[in-house]
Amino acid sequence: MILYDYILSPDCYKIRLLAALTGQRLTLQAVDYHPGGEHRSAAFRMLNPAGTIPVLQDGALILTESAAILTYVAAMSGPDWLGEDSPQMRGQVAQWLAFAHRLSASIGKARSHDMLQQPADINACRRAGVACLQELESALTEQRLMGFGYLAGARPTLADIACFPHAMLAPDGGISTDPYPAIRLWTRSLRALPGFIEMPGIHRLHELKPEPIGTAGQD
Amino acid sequence: MTAAWTPVALARDLPRLGVMPVCVDGIDVALWRSASGRLAAWADRCPHRGMRLSHGFVRGEALSCIYHGWSYGASGSCLRIPAHPDLEPPEAIRVPVHRATENNGVIWVALGDQDNTPPALTGLVPLRSVTVQARAEVIRSASGLAIGADGIARGHLASIAVAVLMQALPEGATVLHVLAEPADPAALIAASRAVEALRRAAESKGAA
Ligand SMILES: N[C@H](CCC(=O)N[C@@H](CS)C(=O)NCC(=O)O)C(=O)O
Ligand code: FES
Repeated sequence: MILYDYILSPDCYKIRLLAALTGQRLTLQAVDYHPGGEHRSAAFRMLNPAGTIPVLQDGALILTESAAILTYVAAMSGPDWLGEDSPQMRGQVAQWLAFAHRLSASIGKARSHDMLQQPADINACRRAGVACLQELESALTEQRLMGFGYLAGARPTLADIACFPHAMLAPDGGISTDPYPAIRLWTRSLRALPGFIEMPGIHRLHELKPEPIGTAGQD
Repeated sequence: MTAAWTPVALARDLPRLGVMPVCVDGIDVALWRSASGRLAAWADRCPHRGMRLSHGFVRGEALSCIYHGWSYGASGSCLRIPAHPDLEPPEAIRVPVHRATENNGVIWVALGDQDNTPPALTGLVPLRSVTVQARAEVIRSASGLAIGADGIARGHLASIAVAVLMQALPEGATVLHVLAEPADPAALIAASRAVEALRRAAESKGAA
């Protein structure tokens, strides 16, 4: 299974994260997204005409939407993550996989504007990003009132993996995450999952890491 | 000098080993809870290079800075500098500590000395904390909540009796800490949606 990947991309990271959580082996093929713009090259567009990452290739199968890639990886190596306990849960997982596109189009865009100087209507992206976080916060609050800690129920599913990276990285796009206690608690639980992996800007819960030992050069 | 208590969070939103940023009278505060459950409210600024301590992490009874890992114990004094593990940190390296207390499921902070206790809010359950881009007066008039003798706004949201504590933020924003009478989840969810509706109403009123 080949993942066309960029280390700083939240949409690529969510695939790497799910693969790590389910034990699915991935062959990572780095795409020079920035500064090279390799995803817009003629060669890359033979693979994905849309010119976006992530792209997953497994034999003859090519998937170019992160929601589809997550679904495929879960079906191959971690079917529990599909969240098929009940029709309700299936509906909720589909709901949040679709919602994640709004996160990419708002928070994701604000972040590539601020970090990679890509053009965007930054105020509109930030406003839409705040609206997304408010919806996520309210949904997680309602889940807590029902005694559930995750977006689609009592256990984590693709719904959580799809929305988690952008919720964590919003400050990179100038969108504060300080006002959202339910999001803070939810991201904490996800960061403590066995097999969790990091990306730049998203860390495992530190209290689960070993005590740091002094290294020369730090001050 | 005595200062007023400011409500800063619902206690259930700060678990053990948790740390979060809050704002009291325009001052940034790192609010955290140790492994044994001890609550602390510190200046949100690392004495080393000024990093926000609320970005840090709790290990046992200490708070560590995310930047270079300096850690600080209960009194705010520096316990350990990872780059110099054999050094006993000088007594002068200390984070300013504020008063924090927990009362009926609400966490309160005061910047100065404080002899009295925050108002009692018995018989209520925590609903949620929501940040609203509007001042307290605008929110009050949008909500129809009445201020009681104890200074607390009370009323009904989606037919559920609520008490709303207001925490002023800089630039005219306000955090609402909402407590509700005990009710089944469906009724509490309706009240939570009514808080969102109140936020939208106050924000459009404030913008008008
Ligand atoms: N197809 C969407 C696209 C995700 C997305 O927006 N990816 C960004 C990088 S994180 C991208 O490729 N942008 C293309 C561009 O800006 O030209 C998905 O897989 O969720
Ligand atoms: S800034 Fe906190 S340890 Fe350096």
